[in-house]
Amino acid sequence: MRTIKALWMRFRGTFATDRAESEMYAELESHLEMHIEDGMRAGLTEQEARRQALIKLGGMEQARTAYREQRGLPFVEQLVSDVKYALRTLRKTPGFTATAVLTLALGIGANAAIFTLVNAVLLRNLPVSDPRMLVRIGDQIQCCVQEGAHDDGNYSMFSTHTYQELKKSNPEFEELAAMQAGFAPRPVIARRDGGQETAKSVIAEFVSGNYFRTFGLRPEAGRLITDSDDVTGAPMVAVVSYETWKNDYNGDPSIVGSTFWVNTKAVTVVGIAPSGFFGDRLTNTPPNFYLPIEAMPVLANADYVHDPDSEWLYIVGRIKPGIAWGPLQEKIGVQLKQLFASSRLFSSAHDHPLLAKTHVVLTPAGGGIQYLRDWYGDRLKLLMWISGLVLLIACANIANLLLVRGMGRKSEMAVRTALGAARGRIVRQLMTESVLLSVISGMIALVVSYAGARMLLMMAFPGDQRVPISSGPSLEVLGFALCISTVTGVLFGVAPALTAAQAEPADALRSGKRTTTGGASLLQRGLVIVQAALSLVLLVGAGLFAQNLSKLEHMDMKLDTTNRYIVHFNPQAAGYATTQVGALYQMIEDRFLTMPGMQKVGISTYTPMEGNNNGWGVQIQGQPDLHKHASFIKANAEYFDSVGTRVVMGRGIGLKDTSTAPAVGVVNQSFVNTFFKPGENPLGHRFGIPGPASSGDYEIVGVVEDTSYTDVKWKNHAMYFVPLMQRPASAKRPIEKDSMLYAGAIVLQTSHAMPDMEAIARRMLMGINPNLSVVRFQTFSAQIADRFSTDRMLSRLMTLFGALALLLAAVGLYGVTSYTVARRTGEIGIRMALGAERATVVTMVLRNAMMQTLLGLAIGVPVAYGCVKFVKSQLFEINSVTPGALTIAVGTLLTAALVAGLIPARRAASIEPMQALRTE
Amino acid sequence: MSEKSEVWQGTLALMVLRTLETMGPLHGYGIARRIEQISGDALALNYGTLYPALLKLVQEGAISSEWGTSENNRKAKFYKLTRAGKKQLEGQRRDWEQATEIVARFLSPVGEG
Repeated sequence: MRTIKALWMRFRGTFATDRAESEMYAELESHLEMHIEDGMRAGLTEQEARRQALIKLGGMEQARTAYREQRGLPFVEQLVSDVKYALRTLRKTPGFTATAVLTLALGIGANAAIFTLVNAVLLRNLPVSDPRMLVRIGDQIQCCVQEGAHDDGNYSMFSTHTYQELKKSNPEFEELAAMQAGFAPRPVIARRDGGQETAKSVIAEFVSGNYFRTFGLRPEAGRLITDSDDVTGAPMVAVVSYETWKNDYNGDPSIVGSTFWVNTKAVTVVGIAPSGFFGDRLTNTPPNFYLPIEAMPVLANADYVHDPDSEWLYIVGRIKPGIAWGPLQEKIGVQLKQLFASSRLFSSAHDHPLLAKTHVVLTPAGGGIQYLRDWYGDRLKLLMWISGLVLLIACANIANLLLVRGMGRKSEMAVRTALGAARGRIVRQLMTESVLLSVISGMIALVVSYAGARMLLMMAFPGDQRVPISSGPSLEVLGFALCISTVTGVLFGVAPALTAAQAEPADALRSGKRTTTGGASLLQRGLVIVQAALSLVLLVGAGLFAQNLSKLEHMDMKLDTTNRYIVHFNPQAAGYATTQVGALYQMIEDRFLTMPGMQKVGISTYTPMEGNNNGWGVQIQGQPDLHKHASFIKANAEYFDSVGTRVVMGRGIGLKDTSTAPAVGVVNQSFVNTFFKPGENPLGHRFGIPGPASSGDYEIVGVVEDTSYTDVKWKNHAMYFVPLMQRPASAKRPIEKDSMLYAGAIVLQTSHAMPDMEAIARRMLMGINPNLSVVRFQTFSAQIADRFSTDRMLSRLMTLFGALALLLAAVGLYGVTSYTVARRTGEIGIRMALGAERATVVTMVLRNAMMQTLLGLAIGVPVAYGCVKFVKSQLFEINSVTPGALTIAVGTLLTAALVAGLIPARRAASIEPMQALRTE
Repeated sequence: MSEKSEVWQGTLALMVLRTLETMGPLHGYGIARRIEQISGDALALNYGTLYPALLKLVQEGAISSEWGTSENNRKAKFYKLTRAGKKQLEGQRRDWEQATEIVARFLSPVGEG
């Protein structure tokens, strides 16, 4: 207690006030006076008395120092004075300080920003209880509804039937939950009962009754979905997400218990999911509502829910402690094989052998279903590498700056040593300076990191504010940034500090400033060369990605986007039966065509360059089954014109291809190349889903040009187009169950640009039916641009990092060159006094600078060639460094180096000989 | 000049406390003089070390200080024993007596008991 109090008093004493100081003076002064008085009383002269009193005191200054040391904590006091001194020194050289701080802040900030994303996407667990016990059956990301045997025998999506069987027979799981694999592309339409609210398209995920229990979640309010809700015929209930409750319903508590109209059916909201829970996967479309699986057939008319062969569910379970994964995985694989053995899907000669390969892979699900990890994992890793390179360049720069500074201060250190400063003290002082520098940079880096992460998120998910990733730096990021900055500071502060402190003061003072060889050290030049090499690599990378983007964007997709708009809608969710959609489509065509300026109204299941795709196996009637697939689109008569697809043979879809006319198909050129021999005329042939009953469903009446759907990189994409209302003759399902009759998009082509088209389209559809809400509205070109957002992000980031690297390398080169010039001022003065031309001086300095850059190029070019293999997977048809990218990178680097070298070179040339010789 | 002993580490505080106990409030110079007198001028006290020692005792709460006027009408800082200081002195006195007794027993002539 006593020592703590004493320590506290001393700590306070550390920040001694002037009053404490003057009190000390007064006390010692009064002591001295009394002593002198006594001495004089004993007969001494005043002078002698004073002398003896001072001797007895051991010297006035020494007494004061001893007193001060007891008053405060000398260690803290030194630190404070070191920091004060360091701040003063840094302020005195604002150029150095700003460069160093900015360099470090940008380097660390970029790393921290990327680490924020890496942390959120790759490392962080779901906000659920004990996420380590969560296991997913399956390891692949698939969508949305599938059927049939997989060639590799690996299954990640399952039918409702399979899920229920697995749940029954695996007591190794405390809970085994199932959830809709592809909810994102299938939004529902919801409207709160009674309010003024219009129907909105929202994301809903259908989940099993034990879903929330499996994740160990408690409701924010009300209750969560339970097993008794997930039963056919049970009253329909929904759980609303916390974010939706807060943002869309202003946290209104009365939402619990209220009725919502979901796809025109009444559903009761029974509770609110806990805050922070964004679903079972990290996506940019987190669910607004959670609904039980058994509500799906009623709400979404999805007959595949009860089809034992349709795979549409992911399965995630909470495993019991102590269960080994390996045997469990084997066991589930065997169970699956037994289930599939009785399925009709494995009965064909082609598919039966695949049964033996059936297996599953168990994967950890604590981080959720790895949806974004699948998409962004590789790219994030690439970005980590790139930002790591930038940090390396930044560190080299700092090292260089500190070295330059350390050598520049050699004589200062020598003077201090000569005046009696201990070496340890000098090193401590210099270290304080470096650490201070890095701490300041670290703090600025956090700001850079925050802004950077925001920018990255906006680039990765343009126009989407719903990604559940916070751009604020987490504790991990904070630690990461501070760690890097401190290590950098200490590492590069120590070396110059030690060199400076080791110098013999006499030597350092004697050698003065005149030197010819004492330019930059080998280490410094080496650092500049490495910087130049690394920035060349990054510049080449930036060039390649920019080239890649422009290549993709300018690829001829054989589409026409001028004055075209795409309105995604969902007639099924609006409550239309399949028997009513024919009239609806007719009404949509008629109403839009009455608008002045409207030229074409296309209606189809899918449109070019959107994420979705529907593929089926295809067989040409009378020919063997090639086991090949083609994408399948249903469209109305004006669809081809509305997206700009040209017919090259036969005819397109016509007005006469109604539901009662014979079923026809229009195929694309790749379809012809895939399924017909070269030169064979496809017109008149019949095709369909493989099998004797269905392979003659459609007659080919025309061939269209290949156009890009889904992805420009998807070449030789076989496709066929069928009239919107036609059903194949082999269709077994009654028309009421044929969900293929539901269109997904309206394509509008107008004679001129109409900026208010979105409002017009919404009004028009609402006028037809208030439930007919717009799921998504985009211009055709915006829809296409969206498909390139990842490539665009990569390209922009590479350019950004390349520019950063270039800037840092230029600063480094400038620093070293100007340092050399400063050191050689005397020498240059003598040369000029002896008649050297100013031009010669400029050349001499520049030659040095350019030499380092050229050496950097010589290293960087082969490294760039070697690094291409790491980014090849992100590039489209670019396998090596292109001459264009290389030329631009080399040119940019040389220009930057020239500028960085020219400034000090001109300064050298402006030296006045007499002045230079006098500055000794 | 005769050989003088240095003040042992740690004993200066004890001497200060004891001096203040017997003399009442006193200034630094007075304390120093008093210690030298008691020791019969056998101790070489460096006055410069006295003030840090006084400050340490203040920080520990054993003594308190106050400005006042000396017998010669001079402004001086007076130190006074606090209650905690009295307790500290008692403890240290006991420790010291115990220690000297033990050492004395070691140094006393052999053959007893």
